[in-house]
This record gives sequence, C-alpha cells and structure tokens, in this order.
Amino acid sequence: MPELTFKNLSKSFGSHVVIDAFNATIEDGEFLVLLGPSGCGKSTLLRMIAGLSEITSGELLFDGDRANDWHPRQRGVAFVFQSYALYPHMTVRANIAFPLVMDAFKKWYHLPIVNAVARRRLMKSPDIAARTENIARQLELDSLLDRRPASLSGGQRQRVALARALVRNPSLYLLDEPLSNLDAKLRTQMRSEISALHHKVGKTFVYVTHDQVEAMTMATRIIVMNKGEVQQIDTPEGIYNNPANTFVARFVGAPPMNLVPVTRKGRRLATSNAQAWNHDGELPDGERLIFGVRPEKLQFLAWGQGRMPAQVAVVERLGAETVIGCRLVSDEHGGTTNLVENDLVFVRISGNPRTKINEQCSLDYHAEDVVWFDAHTQTRIPVRAAAPALV
Amino acid sequence: MTPGSSKWLSGKGKAIAPYVFILPPLAYLAVFMFWPLARQMWLSLTDTRLTNPNGGSFVGLENYQWLFDDPEFYTTLNVTVLYAAVTVVLGVALGTISALAINRPFPGRPLARAIMLFGWAVPNVAASLIWLWMYNERSGVFNDMLASLGLDRVSWLTSTHMAFSSIVAVTVWQVAPFVMLVVLAALQSVPDEVREAARVDGADALSVFRAVTLPHILPSLQLVSLLVAVWSIRRFDIIYLLTGGGPIGSTSTLVVKIRQTAFESHELGVASAYGAIGLILALLVAFVHFVTDRRRQKWMAQ
Repeated sequence: MPELTFKNLSKSFGSHVVIDAFNATIEDGEFLVLLGPSGCGKSTLLRMIAGLSEITSGELLFDGDRANDWHPRQRGVAFVFQSYALYPHMTVRANIAFPLVMDAFKKWYHLPIVNAVARRRLMKSPDIAARTENIARQLELDSLLDRRPASLSGGQRQRVALARALVRNPSLYLLDEPLSNLDAKLRTQMRSEISALHHKVGKTFVYVTHDQVEAMTMATRIIVMNKGEVQQIDTPEGIYNNPANTFVARFVGAPPMNLVPVTRKGRRLATSNAQAWNHDGELPDGERLIFGVRPEKLQFLAWGQGRMPAQVAVVERLGAETVIGCRLVSDEHGGTTNLVENDLVFVRISGNPRTKINEQCSLDYHAEDVVWFDAHTQTRIPVRAAAPALV
Repeated sequence: MTPGSSKWLSGKGKAIAPYVFILPPLAYLAVFMFWPLARQMWLSLTDTRLTNPNGGSFVGLENYQWLFDDPEFYTTLNVTVLYAAVTVVLGVALGTISALAINRPFPGRPLARAIMLFGWAVPNVAASLIWLWMYNERSGVFNDMLASLGLDRVSWLTSTHMAFSSIVAVTVWQVAPFVMLVVLAALQSVPDEVREAARVDGADALSVFRAVTLPHILPSLQLVSLLVAVWSIRRFDIIYLLTGGGPIGSTSTLVVKIRQTAFESHELGVASAYGAIGLILALLVAFVHFVTDRRRQKWMAQ
C-alpha cells in the first residue's frame, strides 16, 4: 500500500517543459483526482507514476523508496487507459486473465510450442480461472467471457478494462480519463460504480480527468493543474468554496464562479462600466480587486431591489433549476452600457421562474459569500470574517 | 448539388452508372487477360507446335496424360513448390526481423532503410547480372573470399546441390525488403496504448511482442506471404538468367519449363498444359489465403 511522494518532479520533451517541479504527496487509500484542461500535463504525470514515461528530473517515491527507474511491473500498479487498450484478438476471459498469466510466466515459457502450452495451462489453472470469473461476476461480465472486444459496446469494454485492472489486486490504481469515451448517461452510472469500487477495495486511486463534475463527485482530494503547474491541492469542498486563484475559480463549477473586476474606494466598489455599490462586509486592502461569487449565492431580484442592476441575457431551464445569465448595467447611464469584458454574470435559482430575455432585474449577495482575488496576481486574498469556511 | 446534377443521376442513369465505370477495366482485362488465358487453356488441349501455331488439332487431355507420365514433370513441380515455400519462409522471416530492427527510431535510420530497400529497388535483370558475377566460379566475389580463407572454390550455379540454394539466396535478397516495407507499415499502426497496457500488466518484451505486436501484424504477414508465394511460382527472370533451369533440372520451375517446352521443344500444347498447372497452383495458394482470412475475421468478431 504505497504512499506516493513527488519531489520537484519535472518532465520535458526536448526544450518543451510539460511539468515543472511538481511537489505533492498522495496518501494511502485516497481517491485523488488530477484535474486540468487538456495539455496541462496531468496524463504525463500519471504515465510517470506507472513507469511508462521517463522522469526528467526530481524524485518519485513509493513509500519512501526512490522508484524513478522501476519497471512498470515492479510498481504493482493497474492502469486504465482512455482507449481501454484491450487486447483485440483475445477473448474477454483472456484479457482479464492476462496480468495473472504474466505474473506466473517463467522465462523458459518463451520457447516456441512451450509458450502456447504454458499459456493455455495457466489460463486453465484453478486459481487464475477462479479469480477471473470472480472479477467478471462482480462487474457483470460473466455472460461475455468468451466474446472478443470488437463485439462489445463501449460500456462493456470499459468494464473489461476495469476488470483487467482489478484482477491483480494492485495497491495503486491509475485511471486516465476512463469515462471520456462513454455517452453522458453511461458516464454518470460508471462514475458512481467507480466510486463504489474505491470504497470497496479501499486502495489508492489516481484519476485523471478534465471534467470538473467527475472530479467533484468522486475525489477525496483534487489537484488542479494548469500548464504543468499545480494550482491548488485541496478537498472538493475547499476547491469549490475557496479557490486559490481565478483559474481554479473559473475551471471548477458549472456555470463557473462569477468574477467581476472592481475598483475599491473605501466601502464603495465600482466596475469598469461605472456601476457602483456599497459593500457591507469585510474588505481586503488594495484598490484593484476581483469580486468573485458563485452563481447559486447570488440573489435574483426585481428591478431596484438589489444593489446590482442588471438585464437578463440568457435563460437556461434545467427543470429543477434555472441558470440565468445577466449583464450588469449602469443605471447612471440609462441602463444601456455593458460591462467592458462583456462577461455575463450567472445566477442559479431553483424552480422555473417566468423570466424573459431583456427583462430588467437586479442582483444582490451576502458579504460572507464573496471571494476576493488580487486583480494583478489573480490569487485569492483571504478575508478574516468574510469566509467562515476557512476557519 | 444543383438540381441539374441530381437529375443527371436519376432513374435509369443511376442504375447504369456503376456498369459504365466497370466496363473499361473489364474490357481491358478481357482483351489482355481472359482471352489469352482462354486461348492458352484451349492450346493445352491441342497438339499445336511452334512451327505451325494455327495448325493444331484437338487431342483432349492427351497433353496432361503425357505430363503425368513424365518423371521430369514431378521434378519441376517439386522444385516449384519447394522454391515457393523456402522463399516465403526465409523472405518473410528476414523481412520481418529487419522491420522490427528498424521500427524504433535511431540515428541514421533513414539511411539504413534506404540501404535495406536496395535489393527491391534494383531491376531484376540488373540484380541477376550482379549476382551472376558474384557467383562466378573463376573471378566471383564469393569464391575469392573462400580462396583467401584457404577453402576450395564452390560451383555456386553449376552444381546440382548448390544451384537451388544460390537461387533462393538471390530471391530472398530481392523479396525481403518488400516484406520489410509492408511489415514496417503494419508495425507502425500497432496502438501504443495496448503495448503499454501489456507492459503494466507485467509482460516482458517478448511477451508484449507475442501478445500484442504479432497478432496485430499477422494479417499483413499473411498477405505478404501470399504475394511472395505467387511471385515465386511465376518468377522467371532471376532463375532463367542465373541457371536457365539447370543443372539437370535442379532449378527448373514451372515457368522456366514452359519456356523450354515452348521454344526449345516447340511443343506449344504441352507448354500450355504446364501453364495451366501453374495457374492452378497459384489459385490454390490464393484460396488458402482467402479461407484463413475469412476464418480469422469471423473469429475476431465473436
């Protein structure tokens, strides 16, 4: 049961740096999600853990032992690939049993003829056959054991890939965007199945995804990455409520956190289109700030009732809830000037209100729901009384 | 699509269109292949002689009867089958090994590949003449080397126990680069992720090859084996130029024998019968390929 430690881990292809000085510890039994946009280096990191990519510099420790040069099979990991990477000419049974057969494989089995006999013998050995069938039953593959991957559906292939990873009972599971080739409904189902699996086997999972919903629903901890650099390491709640910078705030949550650049003068906040209102809670120092608030924390009110006058631009009805995109308007100029960035401010409200596009409205918030960022460094500025979740 | 163009392809036009496209190649094949083939089949049933090509009369299966009674025919058949089998095995093995060697990038790879393709790029006649010189008993490179090592000179092309191997060596040298090209293309389409999955699953290099790479390139290997086999059955230039079928028929394949029967013995009818046997042999190989290919596809879809 390894604890993984990364010490200044770096990877570069030629002069192109993919991962720069990555430091983190993955504890035993964790479900760690590596989250980031495509090309941020998260898959490369996973491949380095598996031993499929070489580490350029820095150290990777398995329980304190330097594992940089270990062969993949020495690491005792299971890898689930995005494309499933099943062996196309083998039956489902042979696919699942392959890691077990390879574990029992001796050097002299490579001799011609001996090879074929040995492999058939191993496949039929009671231990391997029993473990294969046991895993297949768990993942409801028992009726498919004698079929080949070409005749399976995407979801079934996904299950076979999982079964092959599970059968050897490794201590570390590495999953590289395993759900991205499935349709939306199946993805939701497999998501909960993988979560359930993690609870059942109690081993360490490292899961790579660019889908923040997968990260939020499955992870015990999330590492958010961008351009090869760690942006934040925290629990899903921590990432959601207290994003470390504007990148995390924008990347996590759908719709993402509303970020409005403001200029502070005393207690008065002014946007670039000359809208201004008085803030009632604690305020950080500094003049140029970014005001961040989650869509569900905003109140959608009638014209004149809230501090921020706005106009409805988009209405997305999702049934149980409705997402309304508004433009902040400046009442001082007759309600026609738009925000400079032209960014919409999203509000999420439950139910299905009768809201029309171009309707006049206003928005308001509670001071403790606001997250502040420095406009220059884009990092979060902690405010003592404003965020009780921090304490 | 403009309304005019869809009108052009509507109704009868649409039904006829495929046949219009098929017609030119079909006509070409009919004139230059099916007709000569049919004529050859007919010739094999007559006693036509080269001195009077239009004067033959129908003799039924007499030519074939004559062939089956002739011990030389069985030698020829033997040599042909053995030649095809040995060139397929050696050529495909050598080509596959070179493809595996050259598959991974290394400094100087393009140059190495160019050199390895040399044998295939050289015209057969030129290659045969080069080898003829190298095999030369008095001044050839091989005997020169043997002599400098203090060994006896070898009659590469003129002794019955060496001629066949010498011819096979040239053929393999000529065929292996083609096999290498085909296998290389197949190797480069082996999905990396599957190979990596096998590595994570604990397979060593040989097991990865056997479990992932070999099954993936097997269809290509089979196809290239078919091609090499058919080429060997109908290969003429190399054998004719190097040995002419001799000594004592030890390198006399069906095609070489056809030429000899037709243009030295002037027996067009018997030569045509030889040709028919060669055709059957080639079709047999193609049939085996077709059947195994179908079976594999069915097997994979299970």
